[in-house]
Amino acid sequence: MPYLGSEDVVKELKKAMCNPHIQADRLRYRNVIQRVIRHMTQGLDMSGVFMEMVKASATIDIVQKKLVYLYMCTYAPLKPDLALLAINTLCKDCSDPNPMVRGLALRSMCSLRMPGVQEYIQQPILNGLRDKASYVRRVAVLGCAKMHNLHEDSEVDGTLVNELYSLLRDQDPIVVVNCLRSLEEILKHEGGVVINKPIAHHLLNRMSKLDQWGQGEVLNFLLRYQPRSEEELFDILNLLDGFLKSSSAGVVMGATKLFLALAKNFPHVQKDVLVRVKGPLLAACSSESRELCFAALCHVRQILHSLPGHFSRHYRKFFCCYSEPHYIKLQKVEVLCELVNDENVQQVLEELRGYCTDVSADFAQAAIFAIGGIARTYTEQCVQILTELLGLRQEHVTTAVVQTFRDLVWLCPQCAEAVCQALPGCAENIQDSEGKQALIWLLGVHGERIPNAPYVLEDFVENVKSETFPAVKMELLTALLRLFLSRPAECQDVLGRLVYYCIEEEKDMAVRDRGLFYYRLLLTGIDEVKQILCSPKSDPSLGLLEDQAEKPVNSWASDFNTLVPVYGKVRWATISNLQRAERRGPELPAPASFATSEPLIPEENKEQIQELSDAGALTLVPNHQITAEYFEKTWLRLKVAHQQVLPWQGAVHPDTLQVALQVVNIQTIAMSRAGARPWKAYLSAQDDSDCLFLAELLLGPDPSEMQVSVKQQEARTEALSSFISVLETVLGTIGDITS
Amino acid sequence: MIHSLFLINCSGDIFLEKHWKSVVSQSVCDYFFEAQEKAADIENVPPVISTPHHYLISIYRDKLFFVSVIQTEVPPLFVIEFLHRVADTFQDYFGECSEAAIKDNVVIVYELLEEMLDNGFPLATESNILKELIKPPTILRSVVNSITGSSNVGDTLPTGQLSNIPWRRAGVKYTNNEAYFDVIEEIDAIIDKSGSTVFAEIQGVIDACIKLSGMPDLSLSFMNPRLLDDVSFHPCIRFKRWESERVLSFIPPDGNFRLISYRVSSQNLVAIPVYVKHSISFKESSSCGRFDITIGPKQNMGKTIEGITVTVHMPKVLLNMNLTPTQGTYTFDPVTKVLTWDVGKITPQKLPSLKGLVNLQSGAPKPEENPSLNIQFKIQQLAISGLKVNRLDMYGEKYKPFKGVKYVTKAGKFQVRT
Repeated sequence: MPYLGSEDVVKELKKAMCNPHIQADRLRYRNVIQRVIRHMTQGLDMSGVFMEMVKASATIDIVQKKLVYLYMCTYAPLKPDLALLAINTLCKDCSDPNPMVRGLALRSMCSLRMPGVQEYIQQPILNGLRDKASYVRRVAVLGCAKMHNLHEDSEVDGTLVNELYSLLRDQDPIVVVNCLRSLEEILKHEGGVVINKPIAHHLLNRMSKLDQWGQGEVLNFLLRYQPRSEEELFDILNLLDGFLKSSSAGVVMGATKLFLALAKNFPHVQKDVLVRVKGPLLAACSSESRELCFAALCHVRQILHSLPGHFSRHYRKFFCCYSEPHYIKLQKVEVLCELVNDENVQQVLEELRGYCTDVSADFAQAAIFAIGGIARTYTEQCVQILTELLGLRQEHVTTAVVQTFRDLVWLCPQCAEAVCQALPGCAENIQDSEGKQALIWLLGVHGERIPNAPYVLEDFVENVKSETFPAVKMELLTALLRLFLSRPAECQDVLGRLVYYCIEEEKDMAVRDRGLFYYRLLLTGIDEVKQILCSPKSDPSLGLLEDQAEKPVNSWASDFNTLVPVYGKVRWATISNLQRAERRGPELPAPASFATSEPLIPEENKEQIQELSDAGALTLVPNHQITAEYFEKTWLRLKVAHQQVLPWQGAVHPDTLQVALQVVNIQTIAMSRAGARPWKAYLSAQDDSDCLFLAELLLGPDPSEMQVSVKQQEARTEALSSFISVLETVLGTIGDITS
Repeated sequence: MIHSLFLINCSGDIFLEKHWKSVVSQSVCDYFFEAQEKAADIENVPPVISTPHHYLISIYRDKLFFVSVIQTEVPPLFVIEFLHRVADTFQDYFGECSEAAIKDNVVIVYELLEEMLDNGFPLATESNILKELIKPPTILRSVVNSITGSSNVGDTLPTGQLSNIPWRRAGVKYTNNEAYFDVIEEIDAIIDKSGSTVFAEIQGVIDACIKLSGMPDLSLSFMNPRLLDDVSFHPCIRFKRWESERVLSFIPPDGNFRLISYRVSSQNLVAIPVYVKHSISFKESSSCGRFDITIGPKQNMGKTIEGITVTVHMPKVLLNMNLTPTQGTYTFDPVTKVLTWDVGKITPQKLPSLKGLVNLQSGAPKPEENPSLNIQFKIQQLAISGLKVNRLDMYGEKYKPFKGVKYVTKAGKFQVRT
């Protein structure tokens, strides 16, 4: 960071460090170095004294060494040529008799992050892996990952990977966890570290020896392991049982996720686990750390999606304290809104009613919207509370209540009467766009029941010139036209004025266009207008959509203990898409030409396929395996659900096809040799609802036609058609390449 | 995992940064400041913020923000817990976790951060292992250091890793063998206008300070273990033994650690040790109001309640307060509108009260809601849940240790609505 006066500081420090008197006095020398570090940590550019610092590294004083190494790690990328000078000292320190010095030197050397350092650090790292002090081994293991990161494009070193896999059996628990972390980074492009049965069992047995961070991470890695038999699965669950009661909330959540994932075919086990972690979760919700509280509350909401009654008994825990920060209060209100039932509704509503007058406008509005949410089930009580709130005549309260009313009459038409009675008098307390739109909409749609509706709208029309929001003007046009249909006498004049204003004076194009549109519509005759504007006033069937049926636990188990519950699924998807796009932006590889070593499906197509499968709401599960016998049995049992002929050119390359299908998670069960006539292939895939797809590809005597037959375990036409389109895309792409 | 860490003070200065992988520019914190601006009150900054390239996960402790930069997706609880551990370590080393303490000891802070994380992964976080690697500063040691030029870095490696039990180092020796346990309970409660309990719960912990030679195997039993609802354990405790016999059996770590934490949540078991009589009213016409609160003991099992403080966030339209306490002192900050009354001890003969007049802004509408009172207090020698340690036995070693248990009850989030 450029900082006035930093040059002077650098000059002064440089002078001090060159001063032989200071160099001779260990204490003073160290003090100067400390000052350099202090400036560095405050973001000043201290790279000017690099040369002097390199000199200072040749010392027996560990503290001074630490400081200098710290300095070098920060500035080495800026001064790579000078940093090379320091490597000699570092290499020497790597064989120091004191393990602490060895570890320190190795760690610093691996963190230098400058080109060309790789050749120097390779040997020390290999030595470090076999060091007898566990401290050095820990550093060396992570050093492997750092070394790999320096040259991400370089080939993965097979011997190093093997060495790391063997170090998983190290007796030091942190070395074991570091091995996993390191392998995960090195093998990133191959899908990370592989957890097979021996490794999984080894890790499970070492779990109790690890610290909480290690436990958390190992639990995460174990998600990749799929037990072979039911017996093994329950053995694992038994082993992990204690971790559900760990004192660290992170470990508890990690263990819960693993339980949910392992028991995905045993809903009763999943339910049982959620009951068991209820206590720890509630404890985290009232933890001292507000951040922990927040994350736990997000997970509580997640669980409530599947088990609505799960926390109902503990509803009082989610009452807000005055001193809590907003983000916690907002989460708690959402939770309260979701766990309401017949027994506690009275108390919850009373509590929420108290929040509606909170000093913070945001929180008050959130509470009002929450009452609106509860109103979908307990309409009468809620509408009464909301109506009372209007009596407060406060701006932020009124606008939130009116918006809630708008949504409510749409979903629960039976409350329209009560709402219409409450509305008069609201207009003067609403200033913001959203609130005005809601009020105007209500007046337009239910105007015939509100005696003074035309006059309220007239007031709006009178002030339309000073109205700043175009959306309000458009809403006003529509509402007035609607009201004109039911109460023509009172509205004709006002409507005329408004349409005239919109066409002649309004500057906003959208408003003007709508004005013109209505004008022309009116010219065609009143019946046309009625046909277009009198859409249904409410649609209670939408209400069913709103309170969705309980989601199965499996639908969110994979998101548990990630950032998804914090953001909510939909928002998370946009955030992570944005990030992916940003990250990919500059380093997007040039469109691949189809050389032999390139992936067989160009990158873009791969995505297209995946997007396609997402769009069709069909997700094929990776790594699904069935045996040939099982395939045969099922194939014979089922009827052909779909048959189709696709154009095909040239010969088939079985390997190419197999790889391409693998990419979209379709497994090849059996396939004829290349060039065989007739050529056949049998494929299988499974989607996330466990529906099995079996397919046969047949290349008959006519090589320009590929016959595809698909069989499906459960008849679901949507899934079937998305599966076929996935298959078509793959075959189309392969066909294009081979021809 | 954790890419970088920034420490930010309340006025928005980044006063320390540390990077474990490549250097992330300070400008990433702009997203944090943006969120801070949006949140109005700085305490309300959401703990997870997403930026185009990173996620920022932050905690707020002792008026400092610990902002970590994350590049890959991680379990949020994991990072939050780790950041708290970092703050705990600072607290442990410097006695307080403040900007001044961190700036004074910036070199030790860096050494600690370097040992706690490598390549972004947690490494050594146990306080007794860290203390062997890097000795905490003491006044005496810094004087000695400045004379002899020696350092506060251990020359030998911690021996902890060599023992078979990862949380205990081998070859511990003490001349006085002692084992102390602190049973600390906090009451979280919301009391409504009429004095009835809306919600109450006890959060308890047992902290231990064990200074025993060799490899002692302890078992601790309670008079009434069924009280404990949800218990979470230090890894040293044998879980199976607790499940079957309700006895805590363990080989303890050396030094200070948290043995268990528990909750007692069935409401009829939670005693509320104080009551508040209050009458707070505002008049619309004369732009003034009355304020009168009295505190008294209730269900306090015959112990003295001490260290009482009452904090009230008064409504915004309040200008100032003119009050007289019968006991203790009060302050009112007209900017933040916070009233603090430092009461002290309750003597049942003469109940402490605070009463007087308040002035409102003239012309402003009278506040809709009465303020809530936040109350802090402390009761020595009492665990309000009634939990009692029965006995402590030691196996595996021959000597006779000195044993002690202390109980204390405190108010957690204790709130009275008016």
